[in-house]
Amino acid sequence: MAQLFELPRRAVETTATAVTTPFRPFLPDHTVDEWGRDDHLVRVLWPLARLRWNVSVGGLDHLPARVGALLVTNERRFSFSPLYVAGALSSATGRPVRFVGRGDHAPFGAALRRVGALLDNPTEVHGALRHGELVVMATAATTHPRHAGTVDHELVGAAVTAGVAVIPVASMSSPFNRTARAEVGPPVRLRKKRRGPLAEIELAEATQRHLQRILDELGGVQTGVVAIDWLGEG
Amino acid sequence: MGGELGSLVASLLEREPWVGALSGIDVDPPRRRLRRAEFHRIEPSNRERIVDVVTAFDPHVLIHLAVWEPDARAGTAHAKQFTSDATTAMLGAAAECPSLESIVVRSGIEIYGRNRHSLTRPDETVAPDPTSEYGRMVERIETIAEAVAQRIGVAVGALRLAPVLGPHVPSPLGRLLRQPVVPFSILADPPFAVVEDADAARAFVAAAHRRLTQPINVVAPGAVTGLQAIMRGKRVPLPLVGPEWTIARRLSHVVGAPIPEHVMELLHRGRLADGNRAAEVLGVSPARSTPEVVDRLFAWESVVRITKPQAPASVEVVA
Repeated sequence: MAQLFELPRRAVETTATAVTTPFRPFLPDHTVDEWGRDDHLVRVLWPLARLRWNVSVGGLDHLPARVGALLVTNERRFSFSPLYVAGALSSATGRPVRFVGRGDHAPFGAALRRVGALLDNPTEVHGALRHGELVVMATAATTHPRHAGTVDHELVGAAVTAGVAVIPVASMSSPFNRTARAEVGPPVRLRKKRRGPLAEIELAEATQRHLQRILDELGGVQTGVVAIDWLGEG
Repeated sequence: MGGELGSLVASLLEREPWVGALSGIDVDPPRRRLRRAEFHRIEPSNRERIVDVVTAFDPHVLIHLAVWEPDARAGTAHAKQFTSDATTAMLGAAAECPSLESIVVRSGIEIYGRNRHSLTRPDETVAPDPTSEYGRMVERIETIAEAVAQRIGVAVGALRLAPVLGPHVPSPLGRLLRQPVVPFSILADPPFAVVEDADAARAFVAAAHRRLTQPINVVAPGAVTGLQAIMRGKRVPLPLVGPEWTIARRLSHVVGAPIPEHVMELLHRGRLADGNRAAEVLGVSPARSTPEVVDRLFAWESVVRITKPQAPASVEVVA
């Protein structure tokens, strides 16, 4: 004869509630989306990120309201511009904004996925763009804050095949204070329509040029102290 | 047709006006009352009898659901053997049927694998690269089905199901999550998606009706992480880092919830897939979201007590 043991359900639930209660405000059980981004975590962390970057955002009217777009931002080395640009645009638009460039090793890759990072893979980016997501990618990192590096044409190709706009976002931050800027430019359009792979190569080059133009218009960091401004340039 | 999903598909097919005769083969008897369907209880290794039954029936559509998920109803070695036997027998028999127009096979999103730098949310265009035994099992089913279909010139479609959860569905993931103390990876805690058995069954009926000719992901919208699922079920979370998983797996096996390779992979690397094409190709999409399916997992009764019916106090006769 078999003996049936019943799970002491109430005891388990009481224990689980006691164990998890202190963490519940930080660990809601329903906030992760289909790409692994945790909206609650982003909302919790963004005020902390603002202690480092106080980002002023311009040109939001250039962003599409519902469909996806590839946002290309410049990056000074170690400035983490995709992170703060994605956070600032997400906060300003109310839409989840993802960014390219997470590793695939725990715990850092997993943590970055929770704040909206995608793999640096054209297929992954294409999938996100096709489903109407806003994705931020960085140019190649430079040492100068007002120089736009080269744009990866393979990632731009993901936007071309997904049929979404490529939009330059000039970003600027200072290593010495919280001031940061993200200026969204108009979508980049090619004068000549291409059917083949030249489309993404030319679009990537045009995006770099547009980005450089916006950065030139923005000027450098102005703190009022010439020496610091000069240091900030490097 | 004997498993929960097979019985569910059979009962849905019975209600379809386009379905004429319906026949099923399994090692277990159906779990639901079927009115029209004819059932044959045959072991998967009994190929000759399976071939006899299938060729005598001569179907227009063959739905191949005989996939044993490791540690669901049998251990990994047995599951692999049963699945292989059933696939060889069923698809081999199908090739002998002159009236056959379409084959629909059960597959899983485990087929995409979770290697380093593999896509977070692969769609059907991504090449299979399984990294678990179950993934390799479903990849083999798809390969054999495609080879057979090409040889005899019929359509073949595969439904790549997310982990199937539902009342009475034997699932190692569902069983693990219902334990009082559930381990999760504190360093990764990746998101995963599931699908309810009823939604999976509807997808099979639609695939058979439309004569599916391609692989399609069937995934409930939304996602949860291991910790979130545990908290939704009011279970005690057990955070693990790495080496202690070996002990946790052994303990879990002892208490009746073995953790197979593909579930370990899910808990460490996540399991998501893009299921958006199902709606446009099949015309149906999962009705319940992943969090809802997980909630229903915890809402099932552990033990359903059937009490002896009371004798009526009086008997009324209605003429």
